[in-house]
Amino acid sequence: MRIFDLIKMGLRNLLRRKARTLLTVIGVIIGTVSIVVMISVGIGMNESFETSVMQNGGMTIVQVSADSWSEDENGEWKQTLQNLDDKVLDRLRQIEHVKAITPIINNWSMQIFSGKYNTWTQFMIMDMDCYEGFGYPALEDGTYPNKATSQDAIYIGSQAIQGEFQYYDGRRAKTKDVDIYTDPLSIKIQDYQYQVNPRKKEFEQKLNSRYMIQASESGYSQADYSCFIDIDTYKEWYKKFANTLKISDRKKALASLEKYETIMLNVDNMNNVSEVQEEIEKLGFKSMSDMQYIEPMKETAEMMELVLGAIGAVAMLVSAINIANTMIMSIYERTKEIGIMKVLGCKVGDVRKLFLFEAGIIGLIGGIVGIGLSYLVSWLLNTYGGQIFESLMSGSMGVAEGSAFSVIPFWLPFFAAFFGMMVGVLSGFFPALRATKISAIEAMKSE
Amino acid sequence: MSEPIIEVKNAKKIYKMGKERIRAVDGVSFTVDKGEFCCLLGTSGSGKSTLLNLMAGIEKLSSGQILIKGESIGGMSENKLSKFRQENLGFVFQSYNLIGSMTALENVELPLVFKRIRGGKRKKMAKRILKQVGLKDRIGHKPKEMSGGQQQRVGIARAFVSKPDIVFADEPTGNLDSKTTIEVMELIKAMAQKNNQTIVMVTHDKKLSEYADKIIHILDGKIESVEITNHEWSLGDGGCGPSPEGASPSEKRPPGDGGCGSPTWTPGDGGCGSSETDVSTTEKQ
Repeated sequence: MRIFDLIKMGLRNLLRRKARTLLTVIGVIIGTVSIVVMISVGIGMNESFETSVMQNGGMTIVQVSADSWSEDENGEWKQTLQNLDDKVLDRLRQIEHVKAITPIINNWSMQIFSGKYNTWTQFMIMDMDCYEGFGYPALEDGTYPNKATSQDAIYIGSQAIQGEFQYYDGRRAKTKDVDIYTDPLSIKIQDYQYQVNPRKKEFEQKLNSRYMIQASESGYSQADYSCFIDIDTYKEWYKKFANTLKISDRKKALASLEKYETIMLNVDNMNNVSEVQEEIEKLGFKSMSDMQYIEPMKETAEMMELVLGAIGAVAMLVSAINIANTMIMSIYERTKEIGIMKVLGCKVGDVRKLFLFEAGIIGLIGGIVGIGLSYLVSWLLNTYGGQIFESLMSGSMGVAEGSAFSVIPFWLPFFAAFFGMMVGVLSGFFPALRATKISAIEAMKSE
Repeated sequence: MSEPIIEVKNAKKIYKMGKERIRAVDGVSFTVDKGEFCCLLGTSGSGKSTLLNLMAGIEKLSSGQILIKGESIGGMSENKLSKFRQENLGFVFQSYNLIGSMTALENVELPLVFKRIRGGKRKKMAKRILKQVGLKDRIGHKPKEMSGGQQQRVGIARAFVSKPDIVFADEPTGNLDSKTTIEVMELIKAMAQKNNQTIVMVTHDKKLSEYADKIIHILDGKIESVEITNHEWSLGDGGCGPSPEGASPSEKRPPGDGGCGSPTWTPGDGGCGSSETDVSTTEKQ
């Protein structure tokens, strides 16, 4: 038979029993809708979870600290001291999926001065070439900092410096409003573990090259509350500072530049974080990431997605059985007809194809209509489902602002249509096999 | 006429019913020549239908051999058999066996569909043959909307549409009244004669066997006798053919022997008339 004739005959057979075909198709529609909606809700939950996590930021950041605390199997906390230097930095840089890597120095003894008034802020001393790689916001002029622009420069986070500087004259504190854009500013280091050489002039670095960083999207990320200084600039400044120290402490201070407190890595994708952490472990270092704590929650969300998908699959299984039942009924009805077709020269393969086609088309139509309905249900869920979901998932998981409950990714409709057809064909397989076994002698039997 | 198209050699069909073995066809041998009208005549349960099924490859032989056009029908695979049926065999059934959901035209097209003939050509062929059987104005009708005789004409059209060498007919008039029986038999005979096609017909009706060139009497699965009626058939002659004992075409049928079984029948009148005109119209084309 030609394929066109096969299609025509198959469709005619389906139309012959309109009610039955319709009911079977409705079964597939219900199966498809339940599987698509369930999966979409699972994906929606996962995505809203991810966006809520992403809003907090830094999910892909892994930190290797010189002073690392970790919990062992017995639940006891253990301190590990790790020696982090440029060699370690280079080894960590080799790890796959590492998008950006920088040593971090947090110098708590640096302060910003405006005359005698000062303010306290957090400094992030890092390799400014990596700044963009960590997803920090751009500067106010829209560009990103790099080593070349960082010579003696400071990058100021949107919330990093309060305009009100303070001075304590021994009796009471005085305050002064400082315009961080225009007023002269400088940095001083006051590290009381070292003794200053009183004969030398106090270290003071003028901050002539100042860049303001845009506020981040959430408005309260690390970048908003930090001042960034390039590590090479910092080292130069620190050497100048070391020169003001007594000789005995000078070496000690300079040696501290060789070791980093922290090495910070940014991984290209959330899913690769644990892989990168394992690699770091293999190199003999302990690392930390927020992902570590998120991972079990993420697994729960994925589990939920799977369970929802399985519920949908049960509905699909029922509709598969439904299709098989319809096809078997159809074979009983058409036994004689199949016999006649065989006597008239219809090949066994064509009989099989005919039944597979009929079952497949039921699945396909059900799948396609089901997809359409799924979009409708998905839309309804996203529009009106808020209250329902809130009561269902109260406390267990916060739904991120603006994210959808049900997300149908682009592949899902194709998957569903293909799946529907496959369910049809597979459940039509056994009946089709049965049909091919009908003997031509059925045609010779008189009613 | 001497070239054998069907050769049945010691064909046996044995059914096992519990411990009992029923010999439905028990060592039958005969040949059918090309263009011959062969009738398997026997009572119900004589094994004649089983024999027809064996010849058409619908049932498998227990032993023996059946050759059609030199090919052993018993040894063919399902697919080969389907192909062989498409090319060489046509069927007319007692209960017409039309597909209820299809129109007359679509029913006639069906064997051509299996033969992978394209739609346009197929429709043309089916329409032409439906015209030949006199159903020009019935092509869009479903079987339910037609009389038994009309349905069987559709069945005949379907059997002949792909111009098979052999047409098997299993009690083709079993469900028809006597008048329609004559029409249908005339039609089968005329169609076959036109293309020198071979007919193998199964019947229990002695009168119908008078259309045949060769009558094989079957009893209890065995051939009782083979009768060759060496008559010349022509439409002008009146269609029903001579009585079994009639030896030559010139010999007149004895009156009242009932020729076609229709007491009202006379050459050229009603009964055969309709089909005659139908056939003659096609001959003009």
